[in-house]
Amino acid sequence: MAWSKGEGMTPRPAVDVRDLRKSFWDEGRGEVRAVDGLSFTCHPGEVFGLLGANGAGKTTTLRMLSTVLRPTGGSARVMGHEVQEAPERVRRSLGFYSASTALYPRLNGRETLEFFARINGYPEERVRGRVQSLIDRFGIGEYEKARVEKLSSGMKQKVSIARTIAHDPPVLIFDEPTVGLDVLNALEMVQVIRELRDEGKAILFSSHIMSEVEKLCDRIGIVHRGRLLALGTLDELREATGLHYLEDIFVSHVTAAEGLAGSELVEGDAGGEEGGTGVEAAD
Amino acid sequence: MNLREIRILYGRELRSALRERTIVFNTILLPVFLYPVILWAMFTALTFIQGRNEGFTSRVALVAALPSPHPVLAESLRADANLSFWNGETTSAGGFVGISGDRAAIPVVDSAAAHALLRNRELDAVLLFTEPDGEAAALAGNFEARILFDRAIDRSRRARDRVSGRIDDYRAGWLAREAERMGLSEAEQVRFAVRQDDVSTGEDLGAFLLGQMISLFLVIMVALGCFVPSVDTTAGERERSTWETLMTVGAARRSVVVAKYLHVATLGILAGSLNVIALFISIGAVLRPLLSGVGAAADTISFQIPLAAWPMMIVGAVALALFFSAAMMILAAFARSFKDGQAMVQPVYWMVFLPLLLGSQTDATLTPALASIPVANVSMMIRDAVNGVFLWPLIAQTLAVTLGTIVLCLVSARAILGFEELMTGAYDGSFWRFLKDRAWRGRRAKA
Repeated sequence: MAWSKGEGMTPRPAVDVRDLRKSFWDEGRGEVRAVDGLSFTCHPGEVFGLLGANGAGKTTTLRMLSTVLRPTGGSARVMGHEVQEAPERVRRSLGFYSASTALYPRLNGRETLEFFARINGYPEERVRGRVQSLIDRFGIGEYEKARVEKLSSGMKQKVSIARTIAHDPPVLIFDEPTVGLDVLNALEMVQVIRELRDEGKAILFSSHIMSEVEKLCDRIGIVHRGRLLALGTLDELREATGLHYLEDIFVSHVTAAEGLAGSELVEGDAGGEEGGTGVEAAD
Repeated sequence: MNLREIRILYGRELRSALRERTIVFNTILLPVFLYPVILWAMFTALTFIQGRNEGFTSRVALVAALPSPHPVLAESLRADANLSFWNGETTSAGGFVGISGDRAAIPVVDSAAAHALLRNRELDAVLLFTEPDGEAAALAGNFEARILFDRAIDRSRRARDRVSGRIDDYRAGWLAREAERMGLSEAEQVRFAVRQDDVSTGEDLGAFLLGQMISLFLVIMVALGCFVPSVDTTAGERERSTWETLMTVGAARRSVVVAKYLHVATLGILAGSLNVIALFISIGAVLRPLLSGVGAAADTISFQIPLAAWPMMIVGAVALALFFSAAMMILAAFARSFKDGQAMVQPVYWMVFLPLLLGSQTDATLTPALASIPVANVSMMIRDAVNGVFLWPLIAQTLAVTLGTIVLCLVSARAILGFEELMTGAYDGSFWRFLKDRAWRGRRAKA
């Protein structure tokens, strides 16, 4: 059951990001604003896509949500837990998958799933059952006793997805999950994300691949230079720009943002409460 | 602190570590087998070299004739099978040619040629007899023997000892005959004699040797046991891209760090303990045959460790492991690859040997000054304990100093890991660069 705007009945979103900021100091560039006032929400049963070029701030945003990085401003809540105030609760509420989150090579598949279920607080008495169900679901059984370092990339991918959801978190973050995968594995990944969405998970998905975002995301946020340029469903974005393809929509927003240096592009109230879908330039 | 989290993380760390070949080699195989193999190889090599040197015939040249009243000495030198005298000729390659024939007299050869041969190491010693000076010259038949040798060459030193020994024996015999001629009894000749009695028992000697070895090897092995795991659990995780995976699990950061720390310390303690056990079991078999005949105590040598020394060794191993783990992990936390980590941690490993040198004086026991030096103090404490010496106030000082050092390391680690770029692995520099950067930034901020 995919989430839609009309069905957004959940009183509290699974992920609630408000005016989130992250700056860091770089010897060469001085203060860099990697994320500059992002606001969005993600509800259970929804795939929210963050679309942006490399360096747009997608990964930094998702790392702040997973508490790997500390925000320098704004707030972010996952299942009601503020990322700075209750980082452990936040991490237990989500599963984080990215190309930079590898598996322990010297553990086997079953040990990997048991470890991640336990350390993320899954009830001890249900760990074995949960792990077995994941092994069955992803067809890991044939190689569950083999060390991860011996597995093919496709097998590793399955174990990796299974470990992300080992503790059955309500929120899942997939940061460029198809990077480095072949076509078939990428399609499988997209299919798994759809299934998880249908199970009611709130999913944050980041990518710079337009076709994936088009196919998968219920709502899309276009990010550029750490700022949210537009936010809405694909239809809403098409309507607002008069363009059909997401690639064209993305380019038009980025071009506008680059051309209007010093100006601000907002989507409805993208800088604060989210809601509207229109895209407009503001002074 | 969540003990369940720490237990799960610790179990994962240990399981992964014990499946890594390098860690198993350094933590288990090396401590168990290295010591006996090294010791066996060392003593075998020494015995071989010693035997080889003893088997050499010393090549000697006589460049000034022996005074005529001493034919017995001349005969004694000529008859010594370990001495071969130069006949004045050389091989085509300029090598030594000895006199042949049992009855051949020792020829007096050219002094300059003999010196040249000695410098070219074709000769081991040059012997010349001269008239003594002063009052000694008035004694009939007296002479002075001079031996030229090369101290830098073992074979040359051995030639000196052999020639010197022959002359000493001849002098002793001559004095005895003279004393007898003057009517002195044997007891009157050997007046003011010095007798030496070794009061040490076989147990004492065994404890002394064990103390020397255990205190040295335990420190080295604990450091070695911590070395690879400390790099593997920090830089290794970054290299394998599992660091970020770990940063996103639902455990407190403190639990992650504590589990890693305890896992490194455990492997250090394991390495040290295995080494002590291997040492204890094998030292008798390795050393007893080599020491036989050295003295009465050596003949009855027994390798026993006092019961009270065992807890002291355990405490020492734990203290060392906690210190090495903390120090090594702090440095390795800056590395982004295993290789970088090894390079960064290496100085700590080598620094282990510096304090050990301080404690290497065989007769020293713990002193207030030594008890203040980390690592050396624990090493000395263990050595004392194995020798049955328990200086409790200094042991307390040793443990307090070690504990203080560990706490200092942990406080530093906590402060360092408070920096986000380090915790996330984004920082690209060494520990020293980090200190420099921070100090510089701190000064700039104040300005």
